[in-house]
Amino acid sequence: MAKNSLLIWLASRSSLPLFLLGKVIRYIFYFGFLYFLVGQTKGLAGYESNQILFFTATYVLIDTLAQFFFRSVYSFRPLVISGDLDLILVKPVNALFRVLMGGPDPVDLITIPPIIAVVVYIGSLLSPSLLQIFYYILLIINGLLIATAFHVVVLSFGIITLEIDHTIMIYRDLTSMGRLPVDIYKEPLKGILTFLIPVGVMMTLPAKALMGLVNPLGIVSTLIFGIALLMLSFKFWNFALKKYSSASS
Amino acid sequence: MNKAIIVDRLTKNFDVSERQPGIKGSISSIFSPVKRKIKALNGVSFSVQPGELVGFIGPNGAGKTTTLKILSGLLFPSSGFVSVLDFDPWEKSHDFLKQISLVMGQKNQLWWDLPVIESFELNKAIYGISDRDYQKNLDELVSLLDVSKFLKTQVRKLSLGQRMKMELIAALIYKPKVLFLDEPTIGLDLVAQQNLRDFIYEYNQKNEATILLTSHNMNDLVDLARRVIVIDEGKIIFDGILEELTEKFAKEKIIKATLSSEDDIKKLDQIGFVKKYSFPEVTISVPRQTVAMAASELLQNFPVTDLTIEEVPIEDVIRKVFKGGLK
Amino acid sequence: MKKFLSIFRISFQQEFAYKLNFVMWRIRNVMQILVFFFLWNAVFENRTGDLLGYNKEKILTYAFMLLVIRAITLSSRSVDVSGQISRGELSNFLVKPVNFFKYWITRDLSSKFLNIIFSLLEITLLLIFLKPNLFFQTSFLYVVFFIISIIVAIIIFFAISMIISFIPFWFPEIAWGSQFLFIVVVTEFLSGSFFPLDVLPMGVYKILKITPFPYLVFVPIKIYLGNLNYQEILVSLGIGTIWCFILLIIMKRIWLKGLKVYEAVGR
Repeated sequence: MAKNSLLIWLASRSSLPLFLLGKVIRYIFYFGFLYFLVGQTKGLAGYESNQILFFTATYVLIDTLAQFFFRSVYSFRPLVISGDLDLILVKPVNALFRVLMGGPDPVDLITIPPIIAVVVYIGSLLSPSLLQIFYYILLIINGLLIATAFHVVVLSFGIITLEIDHTIMIYRDLTSMGRLPVDIYKEPLKGILTFLIPVGVMMTLPAKALMGLVNPLGIVSTLIFGIALLMLSFKFWNFALKKYSSASS
Repeated sequence: MNKAIIVDRLTKNFDVSERQPGIKGSISSIFSPVKRKIKALNGVSFSVQPGELVGFIGPNGAGKTTTLKILSGLLFPSSGFVSVLDFDPWEKSHDFLKQISLVMGQKNQLWWDLPVIESFELNKAIYGISDRDYQKNLDELVSLLDVSKFLKTQVRKLSLGQRMKMELIAALIYKPKVLFLDEPTIGLDLVAQQNLRDFIYEYNQKNEATILLTSHNMNDLVDLARRVIVIDEGKIIFDGILEELTEKFAKEKIIKATLSSEDDIKKLDQIGFVKKYSFPEVTISVPRQTVAMAASELLQNFPVTDLTIEEVPIEDVIRKVFKGGLK
Repeated sequence: MKKFLSIFRISFQQEFAYKLNFVMWRIRNVMQILVFFFLWNAVFENRTGDLLGYNKEKILTYAFMLLVIRAITLSSRSVDVSGQISRGELSNFLVKPVNFFKYWITRDLSSKFLNIIFSLLEITLLLIFLKPNLFFQTSFLYVVFFIISIIVAIIIFFAISMIISFIPFWFPEIAWGSQFLFIVVVTEFLSGSFFPLDVLPMGVYKILKITPFPYLVFVPIKIYLGNLNYQEILVSLGIGTIWCFILLIIMKRIWLKGLKVYEAVGR
């Protein structure tokens, strides 16, 4: 029960400022620490200091954007349990679109511009070529597609099992491992993060592309991978809808 | 000890802070809260004998729950004197708390995710009941309420009625001498309500427990309480046996007549307010003072074959009390 | 005493009723440790000798100790208090003949007990998978200091967590918000759960040391690692103990004030 109320709270409008404040403090602390650490060590796992910071900034960007777009996922469970989902399903709007992207909050917009500014600033220190920047943006979009796929899967699970809060937390914890380039993790964790739960493709690859560490073939196959994942997640959603047993009967 | 509960000139004021909506409003209310004083109780006095069962009635916000909360030590009186079993409730001495129980229909003390019996065991430890007493009380309560099948069921899987029964067992397992029941039958279906009422009655008889009960369910009162205290806007406006409520508050009496031939309803209306007319029966409500006159007028001008004069049903009076329509 | 054994027992059962919640909380703890572990593992990959006062062995031990210390100090049940206050369920509690603080400390201890068992299991698994070289404290005196520092940590956390939980007495609607801020800011960063606090610039570190937060996680681990000399240990334990008293007094006062407010609005 405790957990549920947290999530309902996260989705509730009035306490969003507190939540955002916590998030901002968290990022500032983390950046401060990392900045200080890589300053001392002069790089990490074969990457330069600025590159490490850029990995983290990219993670923050994708994570924040995903949360901005998919905030309504957090209020999905009450929707299913109360049976209000029925009201959405019968409307002539794509139900998936509605439950996935139904509630972006303008308050989020306060945090996004500074994060983009930080990304641009650290990115500029790496002096990428125009093509590399293009690749980066492309892969960021791809990362968001993968994030979308994840959220669709979480929602589908929610319809089948009525359980959504824990899956979304696991998703958040796993992706948070993408704060650092996945190269630093050892097997078998590294393998899991690369193939099973493609945190590496989502978070690490875009930053690598900007650094010129991904070849065009890699870019193309990454994009194909992202789109395929999204398609699969849609299939899963349709499957889940067939399993849906309305609560309000 | 000759009185279980003594309340003397009790008043209780609440500060209600008013808040403007929105973030700006909540910030400004931190620095300059707008407070309004509400008199929840305004000079309430009564006393209750040991073993008595008293019903508290009145419209919403009249101060019933506030009284129960003061008596169980949750709220501190603004002024006046309160004593329960010779204790000052506010001191919350453990000796006092072990002898009282407060049951609120909308709040539960049971552990939601665990088998019911666990909550009972915990209360056994908290209230320091011996194994023997515990077993005896549990057996008795369980058989009275007929819930032995569900003792090992998780609380959340119980129906509302079963859960309320379990709440009562948890509240009574230590045999409190004084019991405060706040809306015990709220939300229950009719059968469960009746079960619960029978149980409360039996418990009161058997253990000579003092029971104070608030309810919006008039059956609770008609069935259980011989004595009622009517409270409105923080003041007691009636304290006495239930039947006297009618004499005090019903300004009308009811004339029931049987007619031999059909007559115009408009003509009947001149006698008094026609509540019901389906030939040959007619029911007319007339002011108390003029009932004799109305009856003779009816006998003279209409083909009456039978006539009775009755009091307004107690249910109607209580319903009026709940609506606050006594003045 | 029997009273509290019963509370301990039922609270323990309650944790099991929320198996999924509990397992999730453990998984998240382990994941956090993994990130910590691999980050520092990468830092020390091609390095021999010390960095920021730590060698590889000690910093990886720090990671493993985090799992245990967090289980002991930061796991608690009293986070539920704020919700109970804002929903008005505290009333149910106040009519029972049991001391509020003793009740919640008992429930916390039961939660800690369960978490400690799990953290030890997890550590065993991680040791098998990661095969790190760890540092073991062999000095009896240091182990004694370590245990004292943990008791200090438990008390400080209890008091802070209670104080935060009392906020809903005044502002019922931010029960979760305040709790969340507290957990994010205090338990993740200022306590040293995210990184050892002494890698921070000296000035920042010195300021942190006069706050109660490092005594939750960072100081116990430092003592275990033997990085402090006797004098430093005594100073740390001294400051920690003073904070215990200050926070307990504040807690008690706010509780009494809060009860009056709770009472005044008549929930």
